[in-house]
Amino acid sequence: MLSQQERDEIEAEFPHYEKKRGVSVEAMKIIQRHRGWVSTQAIEEISEFLEMTPDELDGVATFYNLIFRKPVGKHVILVCDSVSCWIMGYEEVRSHLLSRLGIQFGQTTGDGRFTLLSVPCLGACDQAPAMMVNDKLYGNLDPAKIDEILEAHA
Amino acid sequence: MPKLVIDEREIEVPEGTKVIEAAEQLGIMIPRFCYHPALGSVGACRVCAVKFLEGPFKGVQMSCMIDAKDDMVVSTTDEEAVEFRKYVIEWLMLHHPHDCPVCDEGGHCLLQDMTVSGGHGVRRYLGLKRTYRDQYLGPLVQHEMNRCIHCYRCTRFYQEFAGYFDLGVMQIANHTYFGRFKDGILESPFTGNLSDICPTGVYTDKPSRFFGRRWDYQRSPSLCINCSLGCHITASARYREVVRQEARYSEAVNGYFICDRGRHGFHYAKSETRPGKALVDGREVTTEEGIRAAREKLAELMSRIESDGVACLGSARSSLENQAMLKQLCQKMGWQDPSYFVDESLAKKVKTAVTRLEPELTVSLRDLEGSDAIIVVGADPINEAPMLALAMRQAQRKGGKIVVLDPRPISLPCDYTHLPVKLDEINLYLGALIKAAVDPEAITDAEKDVARFYREAPMLEIFVDSLQKKASSLAQELRASQRVVIVCGTQVVRETTVVLAGDCVSLLRAAKKQAGLFYLLPQANAFGASLLTNKEFSFLNTLEGMENGSIKGLILVENDPFYSFHHRQRLDLAIEKLDLLIVLDYLESPAVRKAHVFLPTSTLYETGGIYINQEGRAQAATKTYLGGISIAQISGGNHPPRIYGSEIPGGEARAAFQFLDQIGDGGSDEDETASRQNPLRWLSANLPALAKIPPFGELTEAGMLINSSDEGTGQFSLDWKEEKDKGDMTGDLLEVILTDLTFGTEELSSFSPPLRKLERKPCLFMQVNDAAKMGLSSEDRVRIKLDEGDVEVDVRLEENMAPGVVILPRHRLLEWQKVKRLPKFVRFEEIEKVSD
Ligand code: SF4
Ligand code: SF4
Ligand code: FES
Ligand code: FES
Repeated sequence: MLSQQERDEIEAEFPHYEKKRGVSVEAMKIIQRHRGWVSTQAIEEISEFLEMTPDELDGVATFYNLIFRKPVGKHVILVCDSVSCWIMGYEEVRSHLLSRLGIQFGQTTGDGRFTLLSVPCLGACDQAPAMMVNDKLYGNLDPAKIDEILEAHA
Repeated sequence: MPKLVIDEREIEVPEGTKVIEAAEQLGIMIPRFCYHPALGSVGACRVCAVKFLEGPFKGVQMSCMIDAKDDMVVSTTDEEAVEFRKYVIEWLMLHHPHDCPVCDEGGHCLLQDMTVSGGHGVRRYLGLKRTYRDQYLGPLVQHEMNRCIHCYRCTRFYQEFAGYFDLGVMQIANHTYFGRFKDGILESPFTGNLSDICPTGVYTDKPSRFFGRRWDYQRSPSLCINCSLGCHITASARYREVVRQEARYSEAVNGYFICDRGRHGFHYAKSETRPGKALVDGREVTTEEGIRAAREKLAELMSRIESDGVACLGSARSSLENQAMLKQLCQKMGWQDPSYFVDESLAKKVKTAVTRLEPELTVSLRDLEGSDAIIVVGADPINEAPMLALAMRQAQRKGGKIVVLDPRPISLPCDYTHLPVKLDEINLYLGALIKAAVDPEAITDAEKDVARFYREAPMLEIFVDSLQKKASSLAQELRASQRVVIVCGTQVVRETTVVLAGDCVSLLRAAKKQAGLFYLLPQANAFGASLLTNKEFSFLNTLEGMENGSIKGLILVENDPFYSFHHRQRLDLAIEKLDLLIVLDYLESPAVRKAHVFLPTSTLYETGGIYINQEGRAQAATKTYLGGISIAQISGGNHPPRIYGSEIPGGEARAAFQFLDQIGDGGSDEDETASRQNPLRWLSANLPALAKIPPFGELTEAGMLINSSDEGTGQFSLDWKEEKDKGDMTGDLLEVILTDLTFGTEELSSFSPPLRKLERKPCLFMQVNDAAKMGLSSEDRVRIKLDEGDVEVDVRLEENMAPGVVILPRHRLLEWQKVKRLPKFVRFEEIEKVSD
């Protein structure tokens, strides 16, 4: 069941859209903020609230790679693998992250702390190579800086 | 109109025609996957590439995306275009399995054709292939997602065209997935079309898996006879049984699609219970013996009774040939004319409809898609004639307004306004709506009776408060509309409603709107049956005659009154009193078991036949196979018996018209083709409406529109004042409305094993407030007291239905035939909760 808080937040979006279903993406972001990810049950709950079928909503959910349809770790790391970052040292960033975390892209560390995902361009080419942890952007990465960042996220 | 050149040939096409369509008109079939004439263009697959040499576009472009324009010069064979298409196929095939031999689509697969014709014979890609998980989609459609080429046809059909949203597209890019949120039975009653339109083997027809390839089948143009619309179908048979049916394009009726009832409704023809041998007093005999017995017994009977002591009941599911031959036989033998409808009131309503359908009022199913307002009166499209709902959706998608006046909990796959009113109130409400929709200025010069009809029609104020607002905004919209169609059912409505629907259309036309009339009739050939029905004669007279002993012999031709008559006990007793019961049918029924002589008739698959749909369109179904008992049944799964002979095993069934012919003239054994000319000649000589009916086989694809209207009969005869008095006749009673469901009530399709899996459990629909008065909630089971006993059934509560009625489906699993007289009313106390 959607919590009262979740409902209120979704309802607050209604005035911005012509139809309830227009709120799909916002609603899923809200749920994801509260629950970390959007479960199959959540899809059913939200779709009912927005008066659409779960099939339609899941079509939207699975279209966006930042709507998580599987549980993620406490912190989600989005590493840019696009051109500027690649030129500026992405490969070192990548291999350092993989070996430090001991996982591949798309996986979550055994202790549930980190999920590692790739994204194409964070719009931070001027600070390449770059990555994002949760909502925060980190640029000009090198192995030492990465270690520091990881330490800071308990 | 743009004029362009394609492959050095010139063509002129209407503005807005795509280049791919223009080429098709020249007979040039440009490859396509995503483009479909009913779904339009999306430019998703890139396989329709052609080269534009001159004109507003240059170079390789998608022919499905570009409108034909003046001065275009297009080449489909240009080397660059050919090469482009070849690469497109190659990349579409990257992830596609290489296993056409085990794919259910193999042999009728567009992808297979394109791959072969595009010259992509050798695979260069050596990498891993993407694989998907398939889903369970119910009993009708098999899912194999690895075969998908992402053309989006399925989801465009399912959601946009048909209006159901439990199947769609998930994921993105290389992972794009077409299916459902979770495994489960597809909700739409149009799912079989997925198998038809998917250009590969992702969706295939499930019940016919592992039976054969397209080229193994005997395929023939046929018709659906599972409702009165008469959709076009291609029937496929193998090993003496119909295996599969597909939609067949029809310009006027169904377009490219059909419903699942029609697609899978054919199993009665190969049912294990289908009686295939003639019976005399329950004993199997040869067909010739059967015919002889029928003749002898009839002669014996006629020697001791009056000639009107023999009565005949034909049917609305029989071909026109059978119906006509029966009437011919009656006349020849000096019997009373046959009746064709078990329910007398239904017969009257159909008669009214048939006589009201003047050619200028008639609209075809496809015309209806172009209307800007549709008023449905006492009809439940999804449950009574599914393809009607699909056509209504197309009208609504183009901005048409849909209004439904019906007491039942109507549900439609489109936007609509439902005014749930009682059957006794429909007339007044319809009158009020139409009156409000007419601009008084527009009818100032109307004829006297029209003017009076308009003047006396009720005002919108008659709508109860809760419906007032809805009704007046509707009236506004209706007033603005130009092409209005009134769709009127004949099953549940009062007789006067059928008259009124026609009058309202006439009024709208007098008010200078392009109004049209669209009736739904009870069965595939109800129109034909009605043409042959004499007004003064009905099955009720027959029944009374049987009861008082004046009728001693009864011949039932492809009609099982035990299925449709509402008062079983009365029928049982009357049949007991007969001296002779002769039954001709292809369905198993209590009547077959009671018959003194039974003769097994052929189905439309074995004989073909002419059927007249609800619009008055006479259409022909051709023969699909020669008949006989299926090899599967005869061999029980093993090798067929090693017996050699020239006869078709189990091929005793004959067309009813042949049997009737033989009963009449002493059994001169004419062949089917010769025998068929008989009733057709008789029809053209005796029924003015059918004077021009061509010989069988010469009816065109479009069929022939029959005009049987009888101008002026009963027009504007309705007395509004009298109607108003009837308003609350029912007091504190509940009307029991017997009704149809998409699956489970229609006689022929109820024999279909795959459709049986889709039937909903029988239930009694009740309006929430009525149920609350009785303290009933939705999980409850009730016993409803009918005249001849009780029916026990689950309750289903609905908001959107009229108060004061309960809806009882004529479900094959329900013994509902306990009603003495229709309409049937019960008191609230007569529905009681069953405690468990
Ligand atoms: S499933 Fe069939 S119809 Fe749907 S996108 Fe794939 S190939 Fe096209
Ligand atoms: S709508 Fe009626 S005629 Fe058409 S396919 Fe369905 S059952 Fe058959
Ligand atoms: S390419 Fe990495 S941030 Fe733009
Ligand atoms: S048919 Fe034109 S792009 Fe698919």
